[in-house]
Formats: sequence, C-alpha cells, structure tokens
Amino acid sequence: MIFVIGGYSQGKLDYIKKRFMSEKINIIDAAELIIDAKSEYFEISSAQIVIINNINIAIADIIKNGKSPEDAIKKMIKDYPDAVIISDEVGNGIVPVDKNERLIREKIGRVQCLLANEAEEVIRVICGIGQRIK
Amino acid sequence: MMVFVYGGSGSGKSAFAEKRISELNNGNSLYYLATMHVFDNEDLERIKRHKKLRLGKGFITLEKSKNVGDILDELNKEKSDILLECMSNLVANEMFDEEIYKENDAGSNNDNIIGDDKIKLIFKKIKKDILKLKEGSENLVIVSNNIFEDGYTYDKSVEDYKRLLGDINRYITMISDEVWEVVAGIPIRVK
Repeated sequence: MIFVIGGYSQGKLDYIKKRFMSEKINIIDAAELIIDAKSEYFEISSAQIVIINNINIAIADIIKNGKSPEDAIKKMIKDYPDAVIISDEVGNGIVPVDKNERLIREKIGRVQCLLANEAEEVIRVICGIGQRIK
Repeated sequence: MMVFVYGGSGSGKSAFAEKRISELNNGNSLYYLATMHVFDNEDLERIKRHKKLRLGKGFITLEKSKNVGDILDELNKEKSDILLECMSNLVANEMFDEEIYKENDAGSNNDNIIGDDKIKLIFKKIKKDILKLKEGSENLVIVSNNIFEDGYTYDKSVEDYKRLLGDINRYITMISDEVWEVVAGIPIRVK
C-alpha cells in the first residue's frame, strides 16, 4: 500500500496519476463512496491500480456514523493491500471551537499515522512535488 | 543539545519527542514539563493519553502553564533533560488571561484584544524563559504545533496569537541544533 498525504489542492492525485501513467488505474472517491454506502465498508471493484482518494472525508463520515475508523481502514488495507490511499492533511490549523470537529480532526491525524505505519511507501505532496518520507 | 519538534493535530509529534529525548538522555534526571492549563474533561482525557504514552519511560512530570523559566529554581543545580510540551499552549497561556480564556473557550472574544506593545513584551519574556531552559539543561526538546495552514482568517486576538506563536517557533528553530517535522507519525528532519 502506498499512502499519500498533503494539504488541500496540492496535486496529490495528479502526482499519483502521473506516476502510474502507463498502467490501468481505478480511482475511487472515498467521500462519495461512504456517503452512498452508509457503511464503514468499502465496496471496490478490482483494477490494476486502485487509487482511493479523499480518505479523510470517509474517516470523518465513519466517525459521525458512530463506527470505528481504525477497523474500517484496517479492513480496507487487508482487502486492497496494493492500493494507493490519498488523504488531505487537516491537522495543521487553529484548534476548532466545536468539540466534535476537534475530536474528528485529531482522529483523522491518528488514522493517518496508522495508514503511514502500515504503508510500504509514504509520499508527502506539497505544491505538486512529492517527497518520499517512508 | 536543543531539539524542536513540530507537527499538526494527531501527527504523532509527542511520541517522537519522547523517543528523541529518551535517546539523548544519558542518565540525567528526565523532566516532562507540561504547559497545558486544564479546563475540562477533554483536557483530562488528553493528559491521560499522554501519561500512558510516557509510562515507564522515567519521566518526572512538572506542570507549569506560565513562566516556565522559573522551573529551574525548583530543580537541583545539576543539569537535567527537559521535554517541554507544548509551546502552543504556553503562548496561549502567557497571552490570554486564564479566566477570560476559559469563558470564551478559544479565547476569541474581542475582550481579549491586547495591545501590540504588550505582545512584544510577551514575546521577549517567552524568549527569555526558553533561553533560561536551554542554559539550565543539558538536553532540551520543545514541542510545538503547526496551526498555520487552515487558510482561515480569524479575529484579531487569534491572528495575534498565530503571529506570536509563529515568531516564537522561528526563534526556537534558530537556536535549536535539530528541527523535526512529524507527518503522519513520520519524523522529517528539516534542520
């Protein structure tokens, strides 16, 4: 599994698309998927390279539904061990006044640590430039 | 040796900072200097989690939400190792009156507006405290937060806080031997 992290609109998806240019890819928007499915499980059809985008939004939705994001993410990694998982960095701001927002933001950070720990490769993207940090 | 550890919410910066000071520790007394002012259960939960992380690692916990330079008077004369966590809380505590801060949750009420001259004084004072800690310890690790990249503009008191913390962070990186940014639990050395 490859984990890609970086701020909003930094070119994370484009970076990965370029890297796997010559291969067949299947891009899944985790945000849409989880909202439609109303479930913590991911139904993803197989392709050569599965790219799961916006995982941070899915993590927030899973928490809002009262489920464990760690369990869902661990299952996803098990089901798709070769996937590329992309997440926005959301923890680099002023602490939100709203308690739920605050807790969700921190939890996304912790789940990102889990993803990075499980990944064979971690890439951080800033201004379209990817830096391999693991 | 002085080390600065920087990262966002839930980035794993605390765990790394503890690991780094434990690596540097060569038998000195090892102090964890906690700057968070406890307001509610959420803070207590956070403290519980951090205490669990530190358990069995030999840390002696000191609590000081302001005037951290004074802590050296309470310690023995011999040099010690100090992990300060974290600068974002300390700057908020120094800047906002604790009672008003508590009432307004994030200290964002206009009543909290303080003058530029006072901010300059607070900046000088915190720098002095940091230098005192540096000189009074053998190894000093300071943790701070990246609160700067959400793209929002807040009211004046929060913007003042952001600028002051940014200035303090820059001062610390200038006098540090090592600077690390922690991203998703992965430390990246930037100095």
